[in-house]
Amino acid sequence: MDGSVKVTGTPALDLRSVRRVYGFGPSATTALDDVHLSVPAGRFVSLIGPSGCGKSTLLRIAAGLEEPDHGTVRVHGVEPAEACAAKMIGLVPQSPALLPWLSVLRNVTLPHKINKGAARRRERIAGNAERAATGAPDMRELLVKAGLGEAMHKLPAQLSGGMRQRAAIVRAFGLRPDVLVMDEPFSALDEFTRESLQDQLLDLWDELETTVLFVTHSVSEAVRLSDTVVVMAPHPGRIVDTVEVDLERPRGDRLFGERRFHEYEDLIRDRLRRAWRSEAA
Amino acid sequence: MTVADERTAEAAAGTEPPAEPSRYSLRHPKSRIAWIRPAVWAPLLVMLALLALLWQWGADELPYLLPPLGKIGTSLTAEFGYYVDNALVTLGEAAAGLGMGFAAAFVLAVLTSELPLLRRAVMPIAVVLNVTPLVAIAPALVVAFGFGPLPKLVIAALICFFPILINTAAGLRSVPRQVLQVYRTIDAGRVELLWYVRIPHALPFLFAALRIVLPLSIIGAVVAEMSASGSTRGLGTVISVASSMNQLPVVYASILVLAVMGVLLLLAVTLVERRVLHWHDSTHD
Ligand SMILES: Nc1ncnc2c1ncn2[C@@H]1O[C@H](COP(=O)(O)OP(=O)(O)OP(=O)(O)O)[C@@H](O)[C@H]1O
Ligand SMILES: [Mg+2]
Repeated sequence: MDGSVKVTGTPALDLRSVRRVYGFGPSATTALDDVHLSVPAGRFVSLIGPSGCGKSTLLRIAAGLEEPDHGTVRVHGVEPAEACAAKMIGLVPQSPALLPWLSVLRNVTLPHKINKGAARRRERIAGNAERAATGAPDMRELLVKAGLGEAMHKLPAQLSGGMRQRAAIVRAFGLRPDVLVMDEPFSALDEFTRESLQDQLLDLWDELETTVLFVTHSVSEAVRLSDTVVVMAPHPGRIVDTVEVDLERPRGDRLFGERRFHEYEDLIRDRLRRAWRSEAA
Repeated sequence: MTVADERTAEAAAGTEPPAEPSRYSLRHPKSRIAWIRPAVWAPLLVMLALLALLWQWGADELPYLLPPLGKIGTSLTAEFGYYVDNALVTLGEAAAGLGMGFAAAFVLAVLTSELPLLRRAVMPIAVVLNVTPLVAIAPALVVAFGFGPLPKLVIAALICFFPILINTAAGLRSVPRQVLQVYRTIDAGRVELLWYVRIPHALPFLFAALRIVLPLSIIGAVVAEMSASGSTRGLGTVISVASSMNQLPVVYASILVLAVMGVLLLLAVTLVERRVLHWHDSTHD
């Protein structure tokens, strides 16, 4: 994957005039206002912005966990609920959300035992048959690839925070999701662990070819990972800017030391600052 | 030695753990070998000895309240089979009642966790009844159901019902939101969610409820036996008959047997809990 845009018909994710308001009357919060976002299949898109600008709300709406008050959402051309029923969406929340009584292996294989009718539904969704037919990847292999080979039979409580988060990522990738949504999955980790997990995430993404919607607070994380960085601002929550990160992949340590990389960081910081200022004004 | 040297030396001394691990393992209350040390068991032994002395003194002063310990022991050994038979009757009533109460409460807890309307209708009432001393209706139950085992089962079941209902309902709803979100994005069905996620999450709550409810079920059975003056079996009956005939050693021997029964039951629950909940914090602290 070298950043070249794949030409496909329907976008993996398509939000139009999405609006979401919490509460009523004077205490109402407009978490999202008139949000348009179209993500072609196979892209890695990050959402960045100050706290409360609606990143998690956007993510939940895209994943079908919440309905917008206004506007339309489509995942590969179908409603999010339908996409969930076809197991097209994988979620990695901020905490690993593993089941404490199951070993790592059982945790990551449990989603395969649930909603078994999904495979057939997935085949019926247009342009998806090929992907659905490839079936579930070998979870043991995936765990080994993520560095959890030794930990496979351990309980989550016996693992470090980074290993747990890796297990959560493997669980989501194991579904071979068409869209992977991740809400600050690395925010609770130290910098070293975070960087190694970023690399592993990119490896898995490269191999299993999926569209990623990734929420982060870290500018450098966004630039490292993304094809596109979406900058958001609060009050009301909205998209203020979209930055295409035109850096070749795979992106290694050498690139992260280069000026081009830092220029992207500065650009995004500048846009974020502007978003702040526009709010203050 | 300069001031700076002194300071670093001090700091080093301060940060060095002074043989902490070995001290810890000896002091750790849960550690099994800790019982070898007299400092662990001696206080309990001394306390028991003091209580026994106090009891004997009380037995001299208040012979109508406390029998001498020796007589209790004699009664126990001489009629051991009699006590065991009656204990088993009481145990059977308590266990059957608990089983019924458990099954009913579990089913209702699952239903309330799935049906918000039902939950709103039932749970406030359950909370009130949970703090109501339900044993008080034992005499009325005896009038309604006679001297057979039925009122005993009903009262034990009733006493167990509400704590189990409330705890299980809380457990089923204790699943972290992000876990639920993960399984909602793959459209897990209600039954799948219950079976794979909610019920296992509720297990620690269930065991907590069992610990509360086990002694209660025995209390329920005993009180029901005592209220039914026509009963012929069970430790509650033994106690009430012996009391009316002023056979204090029999009364206290029965109470002792009940206490031992309670401890054994609790021990059994703990063992099962250790096996079932080996993944849970509460089982290895
Ligand atoms: N369930 C809810 N009920 C009421 N208000 C909510 C709810 N969820 C979000 N909000 C409000 O919507 C706005 C956007 O919240 P959201 O969680 O999407 O922000 P965020 O960008 O993810 O913030 P953070 O970076 O802190 O995670 C906030 O003002 C928040 O208070
Ligand atoms: Mg958030």
